[in-house]
Amino acid sequence: MISYLGNSFIYISLILTIFFYINLLKRIIPSTTFSLKLIYFINLIPFSLLVYAFSISDFTLLNVVENSYIDDPMFYKVTSAWGSHEGSILLWVFLINLFGGFFLYKNQTVEIHKNILFISTLFILYVVISSNPFTYVEANENVLGLGLNPILQHYLFVIHPPTLFLGYIGLIIPFVISAHMLINKNFSEKLFNEMLIWSKISWFFLTGGIVLGSYWAYSELGWGGWWFWDPVENISLIPWLLNTALIHSLQVSIKSNQLKLWSLNLGLYCFIASVFGTFLVRSNLIVSVHSFATDPLRGLFLIIIITYLLAMTVRLNIKSISNFNEDSFNLISRESFLLLNNIFFICSALVVFIGTVYPLFSEMILKTSVSVGAPYYNFAFNLLLAPLILFMAFAPQINWGKHEKKDKQIPYIIIFSLLICLVSYYFSNNFYFTLSIFITVPLFLKSILVLKNNFKKNISFYSQWLAHLSIGFFIIAAVYTEQFDYEENLLFEKGSTNEIKLQNNKTAIIKNIKNEKFQNYQRISVDLLISDGQKVKELSPSKNIYQPSGQVTSEVSTTNKLFSQYYATISTIESNKVGINLVYKPFINLLWLSAIMLVFSIFLSVVKKR
Amino acid sequence: MKMSKSIYKLIIPFLIIHISVISFAGVNELSDYYKTIRCLVCEGQSIQESDTEFAINIKEQIQKKYSSGISIEEINQELIKIYGQEISFNPPKNHILLWGTPLIVLIITFIFIRNKIKIFKRE
Amino acid sequence: MKRHLLLPVVGLIVLVVSVIFYFNQSTNKNNSLDEVSNLIFETKDFYSNKLIDEDTLGEFYIVNFFASWCKPCLLEHPLLMEMKKKGIKIIGINFRDDEENFKEWINEHGNPFEYILRDDGTIAYEMGLIGVPETFFIVNKMTQKKIQGPLFYEDVEKYL
Repeated sequence: MISYLGNSFIYISLILTIFFYINLLKRIIPSTTFSLKLIYFINLIPFSLLVYAFSISDFTLLNVVENSYIDDPMFYKVTSAWGSHEGSILLWVFLINLFGGFFLYKNQTVEIHKNILFISTLFILYVVISSNPFTYVEANENVLGLGLNPILQHYLFVIHPPTLFLGYIGLIIPFVISAHMLINKNFSEKLFNEMLIWSKISWFFLTGGIVLGSYWAYSELGWGGWWFWDPVENISLIPWLLNTALIHSLQVSIKSNQLKLWSLNLGLYCFIASVFGTFLVRSNLIVSVHSFATDPLRGLFLIIIITYLLAMTVRLNIKSISNFNEDSFNLISRESFLLLNNIFFICSALVVFIGTVYPLFSEMILKTSVSVGAPYYNFAFNLLLAPLILFMAFAPQINWGKHEKKDKQIPYIIIFSLLICLVSYYFSNNFYFTLSIFITVPLFLKSILVLKNNFKKNISFYSQWLAHLSIGFFIIAAVYTEQFDYEENLLFEKGSTNEIKLQNNKTAIIKNIKNEKFQNYQRISVDLLISDGQKVKELSPSKNIYQPSGQVTSEVSTTNKLFSQYYATISTIESNKVGINLVYKPFINLLWLSAIMLVFSIFLSVVKKR
Repeated sequence: MKMSKSIYKLIIPFLIIHISVISFAGVNELSDYYKTIRCLVCEGQSIQESDTEFAINIKEQIQKKYSSGISIEEINQELIKIYGQEISFNPPKNHILLWGTPLIVLIITFIFIRNKIKIFKRE
Repeated sequence: MKRHLLLPVVGLIVLVVSVIFYFNQSTNKNNSLDEVSNLIFETKDFYSNKLIDEDTLGEFYIVNFFASWCKPCLLEHPLLMEMKKKGIKIIGINFRDDEENFKEWINEHGNPFEYILRDDGTIAYEMGLIGVPETFFIVNKMTQKKIQGPLFYEDVEKYL
């Protein structure tokens, strides 16, 4: 039944879209807004039906059989809807139309909506041709479903992919607005403002999605890391970097009427980057933890979509590039610093892109296989982001147009920051940490000095400082956890060792091992105490064995010490011995805190516009 | 000079916080090295972050060699000899196209901007 | 016109230089998988507590990594038993395993191996093991073929 309904709604939507385009040419019905509303609404239905099918475990759908299990909790049944490839592409369609619908309330320009509809139709065609979740199978009483991948059974999984997708797809609005403006050469300020708002909204979700994903990996996968430079993480970082650049360059376009073509071209690439990301993940060209089953047709069709979007973009680029010369401003002005910011962000995005595809290139052209990971990105990001963050302390103080008065504090701040650097190098003997101190201390100092003297400024001023400040905290926390974490492998043997002395003179004591049974899994957990004589911290890492697959996942247990964390996982568990992997993560909580601050800052700046 | 005074006021608390923070920092050469080795069975993670049998074994072997006095440099060479270049997240520096990218893109962007946008002019 | 050419020209030069540089510097790809680790002949057999007799082993033999905790190992187990019947010598290397579990496993499923070496991971490391089960086909102390994951009938058809 649902299979039939879902398919028919997809086809109805396709037919309506064709009518919509015919209507644009022939003008049969005068109100296009109504037809837009109708199509957007109808396109929301298939995904809702899929969610419904999952919630009632309708095993007449092949997709439900493959990705859900009858005894899964309701919560995970629903989220299984986007656990599979087909479901997630349908979610794309759903979200494109959702954004289209919301955008329709703000702006009724048919020329813009026509493009949104076109892209949505491309994805619907993709669903129909190569990944239809509404494939029917004969219902069978014995079918209980194959179950959602246990790794995905986590409450963050419910919000991480949709949030990230909201971020990716939110970029469609800047994309269509830019395309519209470039084609019609209509550079109205209203459209630029809309573009800024939508790119901020998308930035909000994108940042949120990335942070949630990172936190999910940290807490669920048991790897103790929060960022792996995994291809999938990288491709979510590319649109983020470009979108950050876009938000900054749009300020120039709005406030001082410059860099208009620059922003518009950037707006085009943001969305391309997010579609390209989806392509890389779905086509399995690059292997990663997030790998899904592959089908050459899927990759091919996504290539067609990307090629089309890219061809459209490049054509618009070539048309507009010759007009770039119109921009001109002073070397020391807010505009030029924002342009500098753009250069660094775009270069970082390019670096991430090249680092991600380089193994592929090397394999195919140079015939050697290499892996590109943290050492490379650390090197590249030090080179590109260090100056950016250093400028972040001073640039927001520079005036638009022409900067007259000199900032007397700069030399003092630099000297002070160098002093702190020397101290930190003396104590820590660590280059990365010293560098991070050097680039962030001016920001903190400057923030205190500026915020002390400017109480009356508006919200946008505070949201901007908050964003910059949280980046500063983030850098410090990230470098600190990465450089100074340490790991210990504890091996407890039954009868002989119950206590182990740690590096920092604390003792780890094992208490008891529990075995519990839950609805769809079995949990074996170990109670571990860390004591320093007076205070005792408790940890209980566990291993979960899931039904029906029998797959085992390691559940992490953490305990906080102000900003730091002990992080324990079970490495081995046998009848006579228990191995525990204990990691000390200093300042990891500051990292999450700064990420929350970052997301909150953009939330402030979006909300104040209302 | 008023401004500079207020900066000095900030220096002392900053220094105190700073020293207290870095004084309990420990450095672990091995765990830094683990981060540059790819866990070949988990695709994308380093062995430091993985708890697979493969990663645990490699970590143990490295630790054994390291405590018997073999330098990390030599361990790394041997590891690459056995498992191939893919195991290292740190590609050799002769991959100019990779390692040079950050600089190259920066230079190209600057050239592009110099040519296309006339900003670097003083009035 | 010159300005239009600048970007592509710079890009092209960079590409050419880097590729040339790469091929000049690139070290030959290691074929270190080839030689079997000497550790195999330095470790004592679990049951007989003797070193492997290289003379009776012959030119061609198989090295198979297994563990009692490894489920896919059971998939290839019947094939190994079959090969033993055909007189093919298999050296089993028990990878990071509990001794009791290992003995139980052998008693339950049968022993297809000529020799069994218990390994704490050192031999595995030297041989470049990625995961159990993994099988090395060795001729004249050189690895001719390596199969990661369980063996299938097609892999060993010619020995049966």
